[in-house]
Formats: sequence, C-alpha cells, structure tokens
Amino acid sequence: MSLKVDRADMAFTFKGGMLPMTVMELASADPERIREQLSGKLSQSPAFFQHTPVVLSVEKLDEPHLALERICAVCRTHKLLPVAVRGGADPVKQSAWALGLGWFPPSDGARARALEEVPPVETATLGASEPAASGGRIYRGTVRSGQQVSAPDGDLVVIGAVNAGAEVLAAGSIHVYGALRGRALAGIHGDTEAGIFCRELHAELLSVAGNYKRLEDIDPHLLGSSVQVALRDAQLGITSLA
Amino acid sequence: MAKIIVVTSGKGGVGKTTSAAAIATGLALRGNKTVVIDFDVGLRNLDLIMGCERRVVYDLVNVIQGEAGLNQALIRDKRVDNLHILPASQTRDKDALTSEGVEKVLDTLGKDFDYILCDSPAGIERGAQLAMYYADEAIVVTNPEVSSVRDSDRILGLLASKTRRAERGEDPVKEHLLITRYNATRVDHGDMLNLEDIREILAIDLIGLIPESEAVLRASNQGVPVTHDDNSDAGQAYMDTVSRLLGEEVPLRFHELQKKSLLSRMFGGGRR
Repeated sequence: MSLKVDRADMAFTFKGGMLPMTVMELASADPERIREQLSGKLSQSPAFFQHTPVVLSVEKLDEPHLALERICAVCRTHKLLPVAVRGGADPVKQSAWALGLGWFPPSDGARARALEEVPPVETATLGASEPAASGGRIYRGTVRSGQQVSAPDGDLVVIGAVNAGAEVLAAGSIHVYGALRGRALAGIHGDTEAGIFCRELHAELLSVAGNYKRLEDIDPHLLGSSVQVALRDAQLGITSLA
Repeated sequence: MAKIIVVTSGKGGVGKTTSAAAIATGLALRGNKTVVIDFDVGLRNLDLIMGCERRVVYDLVNVIQGEAGLNQALIRDKRVDNLHILPASQTRDKDALTSEGVEKVLDTLGKDFDYILCDSPAGIERGAQLAMYYADEAIVVTNPEVSSVRDSDRILGLLASKTRRAERGEDPVKEHLLITRYNATRVDHGDMLNLEDIREILAIDLIGLIPESEAVLRASNQGVPVTHDDNSDAGQAYMDTVSRLLGEEVPLRFHELQKKSLLSRMFGGGRR
C-alpha cells in the first residue's frame, strides 16, 4: 500500500496555526456584573462586537464552580462568541466540555498583556471644531503631534494639516485640506466604502476599515501629492487626484 | 500686570536657557523691568548662563515652601539694572513645585515687573507643564532638525490644551517660533531642515532666527548672555527677536547664505 495519497482524495488536512484571539480575563464570576460591563463596552465600540470569538480565561478566579453557561449566554447576547475556556479546576473543564467549548491549560504567566491598557491620549481641546449636519465633524487648525481628533459617527474634515505623531479617526471618510503627515484611520466601525482624501500625502499610516498601509508601503512617487485612498478588493488603493 | 512668557521646546539641548537668558537681557536693556525664572528644578543652569551662580542663596522651591521670601531669593543682575533672576533648586526635584505655589510667586512678581520669563525644563512632564500653565505667551525654541520640530509640535498641542488660558476658555496662549542653531550652509546642503519647512509644519509666527554661532558657546561658558555681545550675529539676532516681541517690525536676517565675494566667484569655479 502506497503512502502517497492523492490530495484530491482527502476530505481535509490538519494544519497548525496561530490565530489572533481575544482573551476575556474574568475578574468576577458574577454574570450580572459581566453583563453590565459588556453593555457599556458595546456602546463605546460596537465594531468590536461582531460575533468576535473569545477565550474565557478564569485563571484569576478562585472558584471551583462557575455559572459558565450563564456567562456564555451573556457573551452571546452581546455578540461575543466564547470558543474555549482557559484555566480553572476540573469541574470547570468538565462543564466547558459539556457546553461544547474547548479547554486550555492556564497560560504560563505574564505573557498575555492587557489589550485594554491603552495609554491615555490627549484629545485636542483647542478648538475649532463643530459638529456637521451628517454627524461628522469639521476641525479647523493643525492637528499636532500627540493629539487625536475623531469623528465617531461620520466624516471628519480637517481644515489644516495633520502633523507627524497625530492621529485622525472617522467612522466615515477623512478629508484633510492640508498635509497629512500623521495617521489617518477611516471607516473605524468597518465601513469599507469610506475613503481618505488629502492635499499632500506624507502619512505615517493609512487605514480604511482595518486595512492599512504604512508609509514604507506607499509608492514614493505619490508622496507629496494630493491623493485619494479607497478600498478595492480588500486592498488599499492610493490614486492621485491631480 | 506683567506679561508671562514661557520659553519651551519639548526637546532638550535646543537652546531654551540660552534663549531665555538672552531675551530677558534684551528686554531689560530696552528698559523693561524683567525677571527670568528657572523652572528646571534639579538641573539648574540658568544661573550659570546668567553668570550669577556664586550669588544663589535661596531658590524658587524655598519661596514656594515658605522657607524664604521672594525678595531674598531674587538675584539682581550685575550688568543690567532692570533684570532679576529667580534660580531653581539643584537639590530638589520637580515634585517640590506646586501649582498654587507657582501661581502665588507669579502673582507677586506680576505686581512689580513688566515681563516674567519662565525657562521651562525639557520634556512634557510636571516641570514643563507648570512652567507653561500660567503663560500669556510662549516662545517655542526649535532647531532645524526633524526630532526637534516634532517635539515642538507636541508642545504646541499642550499649550493649546494644558494651560490656564485653554482651561478657562480665554484667548489662547500667543505662540512664537524661535529657530536656533540655524546654519545656512548646512541647510543649503540639505543637512538641516530649511526655514520654510519648519514654518509650514509648525504653522505659527516666526519671532526670530538665531544663527549657529561660536559666540553662543563662548557666552554660555563665560556666563554673559550673548545679547551683550552686540558685534556677534547671534547677539544681534536676539536683539531683533526682542524688538519683534515688543511689537516692532524688523526684517529677518542671517537666514540666507552669505553671498560669495567677487574673487571667490571668479576663482571658485562653481555654478553659483
């Protein structure tokens, strides 16, 4: 019997893979407290909660029995999809399996860093910013290094430059009537139709709906010119406006 | 009421203290009663640049903590009548400064002086934030290099948000750009950013341009602010800066390459 198997005959192959996965580190086993916190988070960043797979980590909890089923239900109503449990005693492992979830042994310590520990950002208070009718925002002035200007519900128009080290974000499109030297993230809630437009391109980072290009990836011929950036076939396309 | 001007930059070593000393001297020479305060607690330098390091008894921290009166800590400049220095403490750190203490010192000085210059420490932490907090105007010192320009940009952001004027919604702090260590030859060779690039990125009014000069180094080491050296290019450039600060229109100097002489043009063989 030959070991050589025709690939077409195989129903599947196993592959090892490293997938990015959000770990939900539980500090409380109380489903009500978890529900409260999730509701708050959901309104802050709805883009995150789109049937996102999560691993429930119970390492920090010192409780042999957990209301795992209720915790999972809370997660699902908030569009989080628990796929596995990490850590916990034997009863926890058994109930995870009973719920059709995987079980991982506890992590070896400090490897996992908290995703949410983002350093506080100074939001630009100066200014000259007014809400537009569309739920967007018009910002007049230079967005300086270290500042962040965002339009969480619509388009962002900057009448001025966005300097290196500054960040502009919008749920919709971003228009910069000046030089764009910092980071511009359009479509932050997943709008793939959003675009970025600027008078002079030197951007550190361009992103539309999570698809990004760094300065290094940008065709040097386009630097310094006025361009539009749009998503085409899941690729960021940059074209000259001149 | 005195005008409070902070001399700041974000980045260290760009010439904040040199500029604070030179501009304070210039303001006093022009007849304004001026005091310059060193906010760099723990890394005191202003006294050296002003040449009064041997006469320091009490300092800003002593005054704030009630250990000395303001008049005991103020040092009268030997060369110019209207000029006083309030030194920083070398043995303490920035945590010894309190917001209320600084406000009280500035209020008291404000009754006697026309100009209060605050020489900010580098960085964007407590010391730098306290130095700028009560300012009416800011002189942002920048060298013609990318890191300095970016740090100045960051400081401009803080001036627009972390000052008393910003927090109270008053008229914003008036921002001035002071470019120091400008070397027209190296700019021409592309080793340094040029004037227009810096102005475009920072988008604020230029109050002065100080050429890179041997006179500055000499002045610092001798403890005589370069403004006194009126034969030097840097001394003249600081005096121009002071005139602009006082609202006069003075044409910009020292930013263009020196024209070559006829002889060097004839024998230099170059295109220009």
